[in-house]
Amino acid sequence: MLMPKKVKHRKQQRGRMTGSAKGGTTVNFGDFGIQALEPGWLTARQIEAARIAMTRHVRRGGKVWIRVFPDRPVTQKPAETRMGSGKGNPEHWVAVVKPGRVLFELAGVDQDLGRAAMERAIQKLPFRARFVVRPGTHGTPEVEV
Amino acid sequence: MADVTLVAEPGRTTGSRPSRRLRSDGRIPAVVYGNGVEPVAVSVSARDLRSVLSTGAGLNAVLALEVGRDTHMAMAREIQRHPVRGTVTHVDFQVVDPDQPIVAEIPVVLVGDPVELHHQDGMLDQQVFSLTVKAKPADLPPQLEADVSGIVIGTAVRVGEVILPPGVVSEVDADVIVAIGQAPRMTRAEEAGEGEATSEEAEGSAGSASAGSAGDGGES
Repeated sequence: MLMPKKVKHRKQQRGRMTGSAKGGTTVNFGDFGIQALEPGWLTARQIEAARIAMTRHVRRGGKVWIRVFPDRPVTQKPAETRMGSGKGNPEHWVAVVKPGRVLFELAGVDQDLGRAAMERAIQKLPFRARFVVRPGTHGTPEVEV
Repeated sequence: MADVTLVAEPGRTTGSRPSRRLRSDGRIPAVVYGNGVEPVAVSVSARDLRSVLSTGAGLNAVLALEVGRDTHMAMAREIQRHPVRGTVTHVDFQVVDPDQPIVAEIPVVLVGDPVELHHQDGMLDQQVFSLTVKAKPADLPPQLEADVSGIVIGTAVRVGEVILPPGVVSEVDADVIVAIGQAPRMTRAEEAGEGEATSEEAEGSAGSASAGSAGDGGES
């Protein structure tokens, strides 16, 4: 699973997730992508599950890009522990996702297969997301006004 | 002069709230600058903008931009889009001189069917989707074509092999790969002699490699 090799601080505060994504909102590497429509925390396990769902459906060929990286540690206190005694232990890693962010990209397959594979991957995500196509390709307009 | 005309209304109030009101009224805030023209904040009709940018010339269409009493020869340079809806939120119009070459991004389209690559069960990986070229505004092509019919696994089409129309010069190194023929993903795992039990690990390493390549591509 994806996680940082080394971090400066082991524990982080939770922060806010207001507004939309500032960058990474367009399909840059492949032909198709999955774009988040809601904010949320995407865990390393969910990223891996979505990737496996996609690659299993495509079977042969195709190339997958993962455009998010889980670089935020999430802590948890052990079960049946009294409150206090400091912050819990880092348990897993998440990527902070804001609406508009492209999470995965896919190339090397036709549109029907790509859509089906990505719809399966979307089922593994904790927020609403949609299938997007690179503008100007596969009959999509260059400009939407 | 340009064959498509777009009317821009000058004298809009700048700022996020007036701009939002403009967008809700079906207009798009824009700015006109370049070639010695004093920057002026304008607004254009969303419908008209879509029609002038959907012509055969593509996004690099040269427009006759009517700003008040003046008419400028301009191009839409920076088109800002809404991150979720994809609609245009702001446009920069750059006034251009018809006799001076300008730098523009032209989309690269792959043409031809790589039959041999399909026989080898390979995958065509396009790595460059647009090319920075220098040309006079009238010489700018709507798209550039790269012939990929001769590609097999391990071979590539480079920028130097992309056919440029007369008067158009590429600003990108000729050795940069536009498209490359790659071996299929699963074949590599099969060649390594991995069974069903270990295929999961192979997939995992492939995914990590892809993530790395995305990072190399300028992704944060």
